[in-house]
Amino acid sequence: MNLELTGLRLPLASFALEVDARISARLTGLFGASGAGKTVLLEVIAGLRRPTAGRVVLDAAVLSDADTGRFLAPEGRQVGYVPQDQALFPHLNVRQNLCYSHAAAPPGPRTGISYQHVLEVLDIAGLADRPVGSLSGGERQRVAFGRAVLASPQLLLLDEPLAGLDAELKERVIPYLLTMRDEFGIPMLYVSHNPNEIVALCDEVLLLDRGRCVRRGAPAELFTTSPAPHYALKPA
Amino acid sequence: MNFEVWQVAWFTAWVAAAGTLLILPPGVALAWLLARKDWRGKTLVEALVTLPLVVPPVATGLVLLKLLGRRGLLGGWFERVFGIEIVFTWRAVVIAAAVMSFPLLVRTARLALEGVNPRYEQVARTLGAGPWRTFCTITLPLAARGLAAGAVLAFARALGEFGATIMVAGFIPGRTATLSLSIYHLVLLGRDDAAWVLLALSVMLAFGAVWLGEVLLRKKPS
Amino acid sequence: MNHLRRFSAVLAAAVSIVPARLAAGEVTVFAAASLSDAIREVSATFEKTTGDTVRLNLGASSILARQIQEGAPADLFFSADEAKMDGLAQAGLIDASTRRSLLSNSLVVVVAADRGLTLASVHDLATPAVGRIALAETQTVPAGIYARQYLEQAGLWDAVVAKIVPTENVRAALAAVESGNVDAGIVYKTDALISRKVRVVWEVPRGEGPHISYPVAVVSGGGNRDGAKRFLAFLLTPTGRAVFVRYGFIVEP
Repeated sequence: MNLELTGLRLPLASFALEVDARISARLTGLFGASGAGKTVLLEVIAGLRRPTAGRVVLDAAVLSDADTGRFLAPEGRQVGYVPQDQALFPHLNVRQNLCYSHAAAPPGPRTGISYQHVLEVLDIAGLADRPVGSLSGGERQRVAFGRAVLASPQLLLLDEPLAGLDAELKERVIPYLLTMRDEFGIPMLYVSHNPNEIVALCDEVLLLDRGRCVRRGAPAELFTTSPAPHYALKPA
Repeated sequence: MNFEVWQVAWFTAWVAAAGTLLILPPGVALAWLLARKDWRGKTLVEALVTLPLVVPPVATGLVLLKLLGRRGLLGGWFERVFGIEIVFTWRAVVIAAAVMSFPLLVRTARLALEGVNPRYEQVARTLGAGPWRTFCTITLPLAARGLAAGAVLAFARALGEFGATIMVAGFIPGRTATLSLSIYHLVLLGRDDAAWVLLALSVMLAFGAVWLGEVLLRKKPS
Repeated sequence: MNHLRRFSAVLAAAVSIVPARLAAGEVTVFAAASLSDAIREVSATFEKTTGDTVRLNLGASSILARQIQEGAPADLFFSADEAKMDGLAQAGLIDASTRRSLLSNSLVVVVAADRGLTLASVHDLATPAVGRIALAETQTVPAGIYARQYLEQAGLWDAVVAKIVPTENVRAALAAVESGNVDAGIVYKTDALISRKVRVVWEVPRGEGPHISYPVAVVSGGGNRDGAKRFLAFLLTPTGRAVFVRYGFIVEP
């Protein structure tokens, strides 16, 4: 997977998002304080926001180019997006949520991600007919993952997926994320402001501060145990 | 010309229903544009749509009369092309009801659509649904309660429409006589007793509409 | 001058103006719609002559009578038919001694001036060439009642009833014809004379058709009966009558 963000620029309320980066790791972390622009960057990559300058290219396909005016709508990008509150469709049950992308475009042979496989891997087989409102926090999270995965995305964007969960639940969900990375082989961009998650999951980390990528590297380079078992950012 | 009370009530109900159905697609579409998009001239459109709500109904009726009359821009064209007359027929009653109810529908529908978290629509788009599919499968179902309330409100308004109707359709027994027009006419005739009967019917119809609206709104969200 | 004395002076001045106005008086006249232009002119002349003010409420006699029944503040009622005046008389709402039948009128059939429609006789109203006919409402408004009576008499009522578009008063029927939204209308001759946008295609001959009579009377419950009597008397003077004649009314001796 090769995601190229070239000369991206999008003015926001108090600063501008300005990113120039190439991302190719299996699971890349996007780390930064609240309001640093992480969610906005995900939205730009997903096609939910239009940058005023720059290009977004995914595996040689131009998703958007401000110079030529080319802009591929979200439904054509095959970029999955799991927002911070999961946004499971409240009027549909679990199965309908999971299969939403299939009704839009029947699954091709491409990635071999089958409905049964997803149910198994994410441990949500028994939930199929349940209304979304009856799910626990961890279940909601897994269904949200499953829904995004079943759309066979080339890239999956996760916005603070563990934010609403307590420590114990987080421990239980993290393995699923790793499984998704390994079983389904979908590259992921993982946003978080929590160093522990980043260290546990990511191959590479980008540090975002006020809209700019100020550092990048392996988690071990950027984070230190202080005090254990929690991680904190190493000074630059 | 005697008054067939049930005929008048039935006519009023179906004309109000027809008017409401007529404005539903454009009303919801406009409400969506106002709720989700920003464009130059948006404020002007908002003001124009609100006009029939605040301008005296007879004034709106006058504008409609000029437009839909035989010598009017629309009325004349209609007569030339289809051979159909609009003013002083049931068509004018439907149009008057539709125009007067339109602002209510748009306002309520807009609120309903704004109440749908845009995140759902965004996620649906990333799952491969285009704008139309997203609207039909996500936005509409989630806004359904509010939209239904808007339609019921529009229907209730159409039931009671008088000022614009009398201008553009007149009171022609058997052809354009709605409940409100008939009540007015009966009072003129000095037949207050008959007018009270129609009044009671009007109240019943309006009550029925409002009750239906409450039932729709009481449905618990899943 | 201290404040109290200044205030008293102002108050006294204000109070002295009020009786002067009351003495000059405001006369509220409820008059049939067909009288609109003529009575406006008469009122203007009356105001100049006497210093009274005339307030006009113009509309269908049926609506005006209804309003008087409900207690509306009329001083004088000028109706387009006797029946409305009779109704008020029965209810004891008018001063019967002041009642006079002042004017008469004729009915005409009009069409929009820019249309080529002509009628060889009133029976042509039943032909397909005439799609819609505007009449003042035919159960309550005098002009509509007269028109209906004439059409019934001519044996045309059943043939044309489906074409009729009832209007609130006779001037509304005239306006409907002017707008082109109806093909023809039956109004008073005096209405047709006012409008440049309509053309008379048939006049009901004197002697045929219902007898049209405009009675006038002072309203018993009015606030200014003296003013009303003054105005009524003015209507009967040669000056007053001349105005109505000029507008095409037939003035009863």
